[in-house]
Amino acid sequence: MIRIVDYGLGNILAFQNMYKRLNVPVGLAKTADDLSDATRLILPGVGAFDHAMEELDRSGMRARLDELVLGGKMPVLGICVGMQMLAERSDEGKLPGLGWIPGDVKGFKSLNQPDLLLPHMGWNDVRPAAGHRLFNELTTDARFYFLHSFYFECADPAHVAAVSSYGKEFSCAVSAGHIHGVQFHPEKSHHFGAQLLKNFAEL
Amino acid sequence: MLRPRIIPCLLVHDDGLVKTVKFKDPKYVGDPINAVKIFNEKEADELIVLDIDATVQGREPNFRLIAQFAAECRMPLCYGGGVRTVEQAKRIIGLGVEKVALSAAAIEDPTLISRIAAEVGSQSVVVVLDVKTSLFGKQEVWTHNGRKNSGKSPLELAKEAERLGAGEVVINSIDRDGQMKGYDLALARKIREATRLPMSVLGGAGSLQDIGALIKECGVVGASAGSFFVFKGQYRAVLISYPTPEQKDELMNTALPSRAAHA
Amino acid sequence: MSQQNYRICANCIMDTSDAGITFDARGWCDYCNNYHDNILPNWHTDERGQAEIDAMVAKIKKDGEGREYDCLLGISGGVDSSYLAYLAKEKFGLRPLIFHVDAGWNSQQAVHNIERIVDGLGLHLHTEVINWQEMKDLQLAYFKAQVPHLDTPQDHAFFATLYNFAAKHKIKYILNGGNYSTECVREPLEWAYHASDLVQLRDIHSKFGTRPLKTFPQSDIFTYKIYYRYIKGVQVWRPLNCVPYIKDEAMQLLIDKFGWQKYAHKHYESRFTRFYEGYWQPTKFGYDKRRAHFSSLILTGQMTRDEALERIAKPAYDEATIATDFEYIATKLDISVEELRALHDGPKKSWRDYKSRKSLIDVGTKVMRAVGIQRGIIR
Repeated sequence: MIRIVDYGLGNILAFQNMYKRLNVPVGLAKTADDLSDATRLILPGVGAFDHAMEELDRSGMRARLDELVLGGKMPVLGICVGMQMLAERSDEGKLPGLGWIPGDVKGFKSLNQPDLLLPHMGWNDVRPAAGHRLFNELTTDARFYFLHSFYFECADPAHVAAVSSYGKEFSCAVSAGHIHGVQFHPEKSHHFGAQLLKNFAEL
Repeated sequence: MLRPRIIPCLLVHDDGLVKTVKFKDPKYVGDPINAVKIFNEKEADELIVLDIDATVQGREPNFRLIAQFAAECRMPLCYGGGVRTVEQAKRIIGLGVEKVALSAAAIEDPTLISRIAAEVGSQSVVVVLDVKTSLFGKQEVWTHNGRKNSGKSPLELAKEAERLGAGEVVINSIDRDGQMKGYDLALARKIREATRLPMSVLGGAGSLQDIGALIKECGVVGASAGSFFVFKGQYRAVLISYPTPEQKDELMNTALPSRAAHA
Repeated sequence: MSQQNYRICANCIMDTSDAGITFDARGWCDYCNNYHDNILPNWHTDERGQAEIDAMVAKIKKDGEGREYDCLLGISGGVDSSYLAYLAKEKFGLRPLIFHVDAGWNSQQAVHNIERIVDGLGLHLHTEVINWQEMKDLQLAYFKAQVPHLDTPQDHAFFATLYNFAAKHKIKYILNGGNYSTECVREPLEWAYHASDLVQLRDIHSKFGTRPLKTFPQSDIFTYKIYYRYIKGVQVWRPLNCVPYIKDEAMQLLIDKFGWQKYAHKHYESRFTRFYEGYWQPTKFGYDKRRAHFSSLILTGQMTRDEALERIAKPAYDEATIATDFEYIATKLDISVEELRALHDGPKKSWRDYKSRKSLIDVGTKVMRAVGIQRGIIR
C-alpha cells in the first residue's frame, strides 16, 4: 500500500484523487502505526522548510520513516518541499533536513538575477536523465507545474534525475537508489503528473 | 524555460457560473462543477474561481463547493471570494486548493497577507486588484464587486503585496471586463515594471491574439480570461473552449521568439 | 423476465427484456418485420431521396429569403447532428443557425466537437443554458421516482427550447438528425417513455421535486407536435433519411475534415447519458439501449449479428470508469454516494406509476401512423 505521509502539509487530497483514478490503492499515514503496511511512501510538503521539518517531527513519524527508508530501503517520493527535506540543510531555514540524499537547498534569490520573478511559478519543461524509470513515457515534451523559490543542489551529480531551467539549469528531480524527490507538483500536472505517479507506484 | 500560463477565470454567483460586463449584469452561464471538469479535461494550465457574492454579502466562502471544485482539478486551483481570516485560508488550502486569493480583506488590512503567508506559504497567497479608471484617467483599486473605491493605486497596492509576502498578484481591469476587446496592456506593463512578483492579468481578452499581445508585452505572465473561454461567436453562445497544446506552443513561440530559440 | 421465457430475435438482437416483443414463425421480432414492411419500402436514399432533398431545400431557401437564417439545427456534439450540420451547409447550401442546449452535463468531447463543427463550417451558434439548480432538482426527482426514463428532463428541455425558439424567431424549419440508419429499432416505451408527456413530468416533479420549475422549459407533446407545426408552421425535417447514411463513414469524415473526437458509444456526449444508458438502466432494470441501437445497425447492414452479440455481452464501459462516474453523478446531484446507491438498489417503478397522457398520445400516434408521418414502432 502506498502511504502518503500526512503531517499537515501538502495537497493530500490531490494525491489520493490521482491514485484513485489510476486505480492504485493508497492510504494516509498520520501516525507511526499507520505506516505499518506501507510498501512505498509519498512525502508531500509546501511552505517554509523549517516549518515543514518541525511539523514532520511533531507528527511523531520521523523515527519510523528513517527506519523504513534508510534501514528498510522503502521507496519514497518527496514532493516539492518534501523533496527539499531530503537534503541535509536549506538556505531557507536553520533546521537540518532528513539528510537522505546528500545536498543543499539554495534560493533562486542567491543567483542575483533581478529579472527573475519569484516564486518560480508555472509550467516548465523537464529533461529527465536517460532511462530513469520514474520518467517512463515522459522522455520528450514533459512539463510539470512548479511553485517554489528554493532548489536542490546535489552533492553527487549522479543523483540528478531530471533538470529544468529557471535562472539556471537546476535539478528538479533527484534519485539515490530507492529515495526519490521531485520539485514540481505531479498531483497538479495533468496527464504528465499522472504518468509520473503511476511510474512511482510501479518502480 | 518557464511558460506563460493561460488561466480560465470562473465567477460564481448564487452557486451558478456567471459572466459580467464591467462587473455588472451577471449572465447565467451554467453549472460551475461541469465547467471545472471540462477545463480539467482540456488540461488548462491553472484555474481561478472567484465567488463574487461573498464579500458583498459579508458571508463565508462556500467550503462545500470549493471542495467539489478541488476534487475535479488536476491542475492548480486558485480560489477567492470572502476570504478574511487566516483560518479560512488554511481551511481552503486543506480542501485541496493551491492558492487563496485575497482582495477586499487584504486592502483593508494588509497584514492579512503576511499572516496568511506565514501559515500556508507565500506561494499560496494571491492578491487580486480590481482596477477601474476614473473620469480623469486615474486608475484606482475598487472592492466589493466594483462598488467601493479604496482610493489606492494598483501600483501602490501591488508593491505593498510584494513587500508583505504575497506570491502572486492578479490585475483585473473592471473597465475591460466582458468586452473582449483586448487587455489593458499599459496597466500590465506598469505593474510588471514595478514589482518582481509573478503577475496574472485579467479583463478584456477576446482572442488568442490578445493573449499573445499580453505575453509579448510582459514576458512570462499569467493570461487570464473569463468571457473568452466561455462564450462563442457574435451571440455570445455559452460554449467552453480552451487552446490546444499546439495552439499554446504556437502562441508562445510567436510572442516569445527568444524562447523558441532556446527550446 | 424469467430464464425459461427468454427469447431473442433470430435476425436482430432485441429480446424479451422488451416485455411487449412478439416473434413470428421464423423467430423474427416485430421490429424486424416492421422495418421490412413499413420502413424500408418508404425509405429512399437514391434519386428519390435526392428529389426529396432538392424539393425541401428549395422550399427552405425560398421561405428563408431575406432572413438571416433559413433553418434551425439542434446540435449535441454527437455524430448525427454534427454530420447533419455538414450536409446542411456544404451539400445543401442552407444557412442554419446552430442551436445547442446546455443541460449541465456536456462532456469535454461534446464541447470540443461543437466548437469544431461551428468553426469548421463557419456557422453561428446559439446556446440555451438550462438553470442547473432546477435541472438538478428535476433529475433527482426522476431518480427518486425510480423510473427508467431518467433522460426525460434533458430530452424535454431540449425539445421545448428548440421549438419555442423556432416559433418565437419565426424560423420555419428545424433540421433534425433523427434517422432510420441507426434508429429504425426504437427503444420500447418501457425503457424510454415519452419525454414530451408534460403531465407525467409535472406529476413526478410535484411528488419528488423540492423547488419550483421557474425557468425550466416546458412544452407538451401536443403543443410541439401539433400547435407548432400546424398553427405556427414550424416543420421538422430529417434529411439523414434521404441520403445513404453510414455512421462509421460519417464519423470518419467528421474526424478528417473537422478534427472531431469519437465517443465510446452513441449518446455519450453527455456524461449523464453515458452513465444512465451504460450502467444504471442495464443494472437496475435490465434494459440495455445498446440492444436497440445495435439492432438498428444490424437491419441496415452496418453491423453483423455476431458482432452485436459479442459487444452486448460486454458491459458498456469498464468498472473503474463506472465507479468514477457514480461518484461524479452523486456529487453533481448533491447527494452522497450511499444515497445514490440506495436509489439504485431501490424498487423499480415505471411510467405507469405516475399520471400520464399516454392514451391521448396513443391516439395521436395512431393518427400519425395512418397518415404516414410516423413509421417506427412506438411501443
